[in-house]
Amino acid sequence: MFGEEELVKVHKTRAGMIGNIVFAAFGLILARLWYLQVYKGEQLHQFSIQNRLRKEVVWAPRGMIHSRDDQLLVDNIPRYDAILTPQYLLEKEETLEKLHKILMMEPGSIEKLLKKNQNQATYRPITIKKNIGFDELAQIESLNAELPGVSVQTFISREYKDKEVGAHLLGYISEISQQQLPKFRKRDAMDYRLGDFIGQFGIEEQLDKFLRGANGHEFVEVDSRGRRKRYINTDNLFKGIEDEKPNQGMNVKLTIDRDMQMAGYAALEGKVGSIIALDIESGEVLAMVSRPAFDPSQFSRGLTPEYWRSLITNTENPLRDRNIQEHYSPGSTFKAITGISAFEEGVIDENTEVFCNGNLRFGRKVYHCWKREGHGATSITKAIRESCNVYFQRAAMKMSIDTIAKYATMFGLGKRTGISLPREVSGLIPTEAWKQKRYGQVWQPGETLSCAIGQSYVLASTIQMAQAYGAIANGGKIYRPYVVKDIYTPKGDLIKTFTPELLSDFKLKNEKTLKYVREGLFQVVNNPKGTAFYRRGKGIQMAGKTGTSQVVRATADKVYQKCEQMDYDYRHHGVFVGFAPYDNPKIAAAALVEHGCHGSSAATPVVEAVVTAYMQKYHPESYLQNLEKDKEIHTQWVKTLKAPAAPAEE
Amino acid sequence: MYQTLLQYLKRYDFSFLGSFFAIFLVGVLNLYSATHSQSHEGLDMLYRSQIIWWLLASVVAVVVSVVFNPKTFERVSYFVYGVTFFLLILVMVMGDVGMGAQRWLQLGPIRMQPSEFMKLGLAMALARYFARVQPEKELSFRDLLLPGIIAGVPAIMVIIQPDLGTGMLLLLIFAMMIFYKRLKWRTIATLVIGALVAGVLMYNFGLREYQRKRIHTFIDPYADAKGSGYNAIQSEIAIGSGRLFGKGFKNSSQASLQYLPENHTDFVFAIFNEEHGFFGSVFLVVLYLIMFMRLIWLASSVQRFYDSVLVVGIMAIFFWHTFVNMSMVSGLMPIVGIPLPMMSYGGSAMLTYGVCIGMVTAISNSRNFFN
Repeated sequence: MFGEEELVKVHKTRAGMIGNIVFAAFGLILARLWYLQVYKGEQLHQFSIQNRLRKEVVWAPRGMIHSRDDQLLVDNIPRYDAILTPQYLLEKEETLEKLHKILMMEPGSIEKLLKKNQNQATYRPITIKKNIGFDELAQIESLNAELPGVSVQTFISREYKDKEVGAHLLGYISEISQQQLPKFRKRDAMDYRLGDFIGQFGIEEQLDKFLRGANGHEFVEVDSRGRRKRYINTDNLFKGIEDEKPNQGMNVKLTIDRDMQMAGYAALEGKVGSIIALDIESGEVLAMVSRPAFDPSQFSRGLTPEYWRSLITNTENPLRDRNIQEHYSPGSTFKAITGISAFEEGVIDENTEVFCNGNLRFGRKVYHCWKREGHGATSITKAIRESCNVYFQRAAMKMSIDTIAKYATMFGLGKRTGISLPREVSGLIPTEAWKQKRYGQVWQPGETLSCAIGQSYVLASTIQMAQAYGAIANGGKIYRPYVVKDIYTPKGDLIKTFTPELLSDFKLKNEKTLKYVREGLFQVVNNPKGTAFYRRGKGIQMAGKTGTSQVVRATADKVYQKCEQMDYDYRHHGVFVGFAPYDNPKIAAAALVEHGCHGSSAATPVVEAVVTAYMQKYHPESYLQNLEKDKEIHTQWVKTLKAPAAPAEE
Repeated sequence: MYQTLLQYLKRYDFSFLGSFFAIFLVGVLNLYSATHSQSHEGLDMLYRSQIIWWLLASVVAVVVSVVFNPKTFERVSYFVYGVTFFLLILVMVMGDVGMGAQRWLQLGPIRMQPSEFMKLGLAMALARYFARVQPEKELSFRDLLLPGIIAGVPAIMVIIQPDLGTGMLLLLIFAMMIFYKRLKWRTIATLVIGALVAGVLMYNFGLREYQRKRIHTFIDPYADAKGSGYNAIQSEIAIGSGRLFGKGFKNSSQASLQYLPENHTDFVFAIFNEEHGFFGSVFLVVLYLIMFMRLIWLASSVQRFYDSVLVVGIMAIFFWHTFVNMSMVSGLMPIVGIPLPMMSYGGSAMLTYGVCIGMVTAISNSRNFFN
C-alpha cells in the first residue's frame, strides 16, 4: 500500500506523458495551420476574394387556390427587383446615372436611397426599384459589365386574380417582421428568417403549412464585384454539386363560387358591408365578401408605405372581415327567433292576434312600432311579414330573456360558428346571469322587449345569422361553416378533403312553429305587403327577413325621422337574412350594409344578387320554374293593385 | 482579520481564473467580430449574453474555490454524477428538440444541455472510483469493467440523442483518465486494435446516414463541395485566407458574407484565424497550452490522489474540446459539433467551465494552505 502522496508520485510519469501528448496535439494543429495559412495561404486568399460561392435560398412557390367551380383565384408570378450592393459599386456617378436612365427614376433618387441605408453593412444589397418591367430587366442584364454592383433579384409574387374580391377570405402573405419572428418560430417550430413570407390573414394564414411548400437552395458564384453568375465549374474546388429544388406548396380548392363572389362584390359597390352565403345542407361557404377591401397582392409585393397608410387611416377599416370579425345588432331579423321561442313556449299560436296601434306602453316606457299608425290586428305571419314590433314585444312580455336566449343559442347565436378562419367574433345573446356578471345589475323586464326585436345587448355576425336561417330552412340542422373543400398535391393527387360537420340537429316540439315562421318569411319577400316585396328579384323564390340595426338609440323625437336625413354615422345599418328556394331550400345568405338605413333597400339587393347567381348556375331548372311563379305573383299583385302605395320600407 | 484576508489572497491561486479570463477575452472580441454584421438574425447582441455567462461562470468559479474543500468534491462525486445522469434521462423523456437532436432540457425559465454537465460528472465519478478502488494497481482489462460502465452508459445516451461529438468526447475523457491511472501498455495495444475493429463495424452498421456522410466528407470534402463538404471547405478557405497576419479585426469576409454556418459556435476558430492569421492562432494556442501545462503540473503536485485524478479529468475536458474543435475546423477531423472552450458561444458550457476552474483553484489552494 502506498500513502496518498506516494500515489501521486507514482503517477508522475503518466502525467508527463500526457503533457507530451498535449504538446504533440497542438504541434499538429499548428502544423496544419501553417500548411493552410502559409503554404496554401495565397491560394485560399484568392478564393476568398474572388471566388465566392454562396448558398442561396430558392423560394418554393406557394400552392394555388381555386374556387369550387375550378377557377384560379390565387396564382404565383415572378417579379423582379433591381438591387444594388454598395460594396461593389464602382465609378459611382457614372453607374448611377446609367441606372437612373434605365429605371426611369428621378436623378438623385438612388443617392438618397444609398444615404438612407448607409448605416447598414455595405455587402448587403439595397432594393432600388421593385417590380421592374421586362425591358428594364433586359437592359440591366445586358449592361451587366457596365453596372458594377447592380443586379436583379427574382421573387415569386402572389397574384390575387380578382384583386379585392374576397380579399378577407383569401387573406395575404407578407414578410415576417422582427417582432413576429420569435412568435412564429415558436408556433410552428420552424427556423424562420427575416424576409421569409408567411400567411398572415384568411386562408393564407389558416392553411399556411399546406400552401407554403419547402424552400430549396442553389449555389451561386459571386465575383469580386458582387455580380452573381450561375455556378460554372471553373476550377476543381467545387465539383459534383447538386442544388436542391424547392417543393411547391399544396393546391387548395375552396367551397367558394367565383361567380357568386363577383355578384356579391358588385352588389356591395359603393357600400360598406358584407355578404355571406352558406349551403344549408353542408355548411359550405359559397360566397363571402366584405367591403371595403384591400388588394392582397400589394402585401406580397412589399407594401408601399402610402398604401399601408391608406389602409390603416381609412375609418371604414378595410382590413376587417365584416362577416366574421364584426358583430351587429341583428335588428328585426332576430324576430324570427323570438317568434320561434314564443311558438314553442305556447305563448302564441297561429291564431293569436295582437292589436298594434303603433306603440306599446310597458312600465313607464313607451315602445314604438316602426309604423306610426300601427299594424292593426296582427297574426304571427303578418307580424313577420310586416315586421311588427308590438307583436313580438307582447309575446316577449310573457317570456323571460333566458327563454329567448335558449332558442337563440340553439340556432347557433351567441357563440362562434367555428369556421376555420382566424379571429372570429362570438356575438352576444344576453341572459340574466350574463348581465349580473357583466354589469352587476339585475335584468330589467323592459330590456327583454328590446332584445326581442334584436336591439339592446343582442349582437350577431352575418355568418351566425345565415347559419341560424339555414337551420330554420332545413329544420334544425346546424353545420359548421367551412371554406376549404380539398387540398391537392401540385401533381393533383388529393391529400385531404373536408366533409360537412353536423354540430347539432335539434327538433322543435311543435311542428307548426317552423311552418308558420317560414310562411311569414316567405311573405316578407313574396307578399305585396312584405317589407322586401319590392326587392324580391326574379326566379329565386326567396324567403327572408329585413332588419335595421340601430347605431345609436333613437330618442323619442327622432324615432320617425327619415333615416336618410340623419348624419351618415348615425344612420341605421340595413340587414337582410334569407334562404332560397322556399319549397326546397338550398342556400342561406345574410347581408349587412353599414349605415344603409333600410334592410330592404340596402341589404336585400345584395343577397338577391348572390342568390340569383347561385340559382342560375346550380339549379337552372328550378330557376326557370320560379320565373313562371314570379309572373303569377306579379299578375296577382297588379290585379289587386288599384293605386300603388309608397313601398313599405323598414 | 485584514491580515488573514491578505494572507488568503496571497496564497490564492489566480492562474486558472487568469487563463479563463484571458481566453474568454479573446473569445468575446472574436464573437463580436463574427456576429456584428448579423443584426437581421438577431445574433449581433450575442456577445453581451456571452459576457453575462462569463460573469456568472466566474462568480461560480470563485464561490466554488472559496467555499469548498477538495474533500467535499470527493464526497459528492457520485451524487453529482447521479444528478447529471438523471438529467440525461429527463432529456430523453421530455427534452426539447433543437437542430434535429434532443439535447435541451427546459426547466422553468432555464434551458440547459445536461450532456455538458455530464463531462464534469463523469470526471468526478471516475476520480473517486480510481482513488478508492485499488488506487495503486495498474489497470488491466478486468479493472476497466466498472469504470467502463460509468463512462459508457452516459456516452451511449448522448450518442443516441443524437450528439455523436459529445458522446465521443466523454469516451476521450475516460480514455485520458484511465491512461493516467496507469493502464497497462499491453491493454492499450489491445484496446487500440479493438477500437479499430469496432470502428469499422460501427461505421458499417451503427452510424446514421448523416454521420457516415460526415466521415466521407472528411476524407474527401471536395467530392461534395456544395453539400456536406461545404462547411469544411468554407472553413478552410476562411483559415487559409488569413495567411500570416490575418485580415484584421471585424474584417472576416467569410463570416460577414455568411459562408460559414454556426459562426458563433463551432466555427469561431475559423473566423479568428481569418482575422488574425497564423501569428494570431499561435498566440491563442499558447494561451490554451499554458492552462493545460499548469493543470498537468498541478496533477503531480497535490497530496491527495483523488485531487490528482480529478485535475487530469478536468484537463481532459478542456484539452479534448480544444483539440477536437481546432482539428475539425482546420480539416484534420470530420466536422462534429464540438465548441471551443471559452471562445464559442454557449451558456451551459461556460458554466461547466466555471465550475471546473473553481474546483482546480480550490485544489491548488488546498495545496498551499496545508503545506
